[in-house]
Amino acid sequence: MESIINAQHITKTYGKISAVDDLSFQVNAGDFFGFLGPNGAGKTTTIRMLTGILASDNGNIKINGKDISDRQELSHIIGVLSESRGFYDWMTGEEYLSFFADLYSLTDKKKVVGDLLSVVGLTERKNTCIATYSRGMKQRLGLARALVNNPRIIFLDEPTLGLDPQGQEDIHNLLKKLNQQGVTIFFSSHVLSEVADLCSIIAVINKGRLVAQGTMSELQKKTGSTDLKQIFLSLTQ
Amino acid sequence: MYKYICLKEIKAELYTWKSLTWLLLTSLIFSVTSYLLLTNKELSLLDQTELMWLLGKIIIGVALLVVTIDASSSITSEFEKETAESLFLTPLSIKDFILGKLLALLSLWGVLYVVAIPYVYVASLGSKLFFPFLGYIALLGTLGVVGFTLIIFAISFLYRSSKNTLTTSLIFLLALSIPALFSTTLKNNTPAQILSHINPVDSIFASLDNVLVDYQTSLAQNWIYIIPLIVFCLVGLILLIFSVRFFKKKGGVQNY
Repeated sequence: MESIINAQHITKTYGKISAVDDLSFQVNAGDFFGFLGPNGAGKTTTIRMLTGILASDNGNIKINGKDISDRQELSHIIGVLSESRGFYDWMTGEEYLSFFADLYSLTDKKKVVGDLLSVVGLTERKNTCIATYSRGMKQRLGLARALVNNPRIIFLDEPTLGLDPQGQEDIHNLLKKLNQQGVTIFFSSHVLSEVADLCSIIAVINKGRLVAQGTMSELQKKTGSTDLKQIFLSLTQ
Repeated sequence: MYKYICLKEIKAELYTWKSLTWLLLTSLIFSVTSYLLLTNKELSLLDQTELMWLLGKIIIGVALLVVTIDASSSITSEFEKETAESLFLTPLSIKDFILGKLLALLSLWGVLYVVAIPYVYVASLGSKLFFPFLGYIALLGTLGVVGFTLIIFAISFLYRSSKNTLTTSLIFLLALSIPALFSTTLKNNTPAQILSHINPVDSIFASLDNVLVDYQTSLAQNWIYIIPLIVFCLVGLILLIFSVRFFKKKGGVQNY
């Protein structure tokens, strides 16, 4: 299998606090990769380093076989729904996606934006200001923004946070569909049940270090536990 | 790419009524001051060119104040509202990001300038100085706005907080403006004269004085005042480059 994300010995410290400590892992193309860890384990910092927002202190990261210092290329192959969920509240949903489509210099902007609004179920609200959107709608709009450039890899940091069960289900179905189309998904979440349902490979980090990585059955074998909550607790306590 | 950032900024100004409020306020200020300058009996003893000089100082002073306030939140709001990260994940370079923001602020200055034209026209009726007056307001105002904006952007990348940036920028503007308002008798000693020569606000006022009061309207006669303004813009640019580098080093955004 082709490795599409390759992080080797990456480290990040904030003053005396080590957020990520010599972390190495690989994600294969087409994987639905679950990234788990307790609060403060370094998940968001890792995602920020993988997406080129934050520089690592040590180590190297390759995305699609290339060093992430080639930002132009990186920005065209990744889509990110990050922890920072700011929106231009005065824009409409359609204007917001059009603005990002312009930043990616898309030629078929109108079609892409229309399709994405339809995919995330916001077509009816496309002409209303984002300020009037519910949290779930904003989450879906953020996901649509992450898909504007038709990325090969999507990084999602808590994508279903604050969504009602129907909203979660909609996002899950959309992600499954994207994954079936060959998109690699890097999925960080605290909701263990959704990670168990969706992800083909799961990595668990604790205190900035990788403590386990494998399929659900491999993690079950390693810990002797059957359910992901027990696996998670035994690996992180 | 910068044009999309510039358009976004202009739209934001219009949607949030910020620019329209600025325009209304500046129109009021220009109207009231022009009315007072042109109708006050004691001031009417002043030469017309001195009235024009006062009006020119007010136009550029108000523009610098408006741009300072607006520029203080232009970049910092992207950090405070958590929209910066989504922008920096696109192919947008930090250069285009800054250029787009700068052009949007320059367009605000452009609109303020257009608003000021009728007042300049009325104040300069019969003096044959309308066009030089208008031209120098455009040149000096633009250099002043660019210099201040670059320095405020540099402060923005360091603080990433609009409150801190606004406070620092206003203090900076006051620190440069207050000495410029001192009478020439207070600038007789050498240190005061040196400060006066390097102070961009002082240079703006002195150049207007040179054009309107001394009728020295050619660029060759005003280089001595324009050079400090160009240096001011370059200093602003250098500070901004260092500030962006520091921002990247601190882990703000890499590879830009």
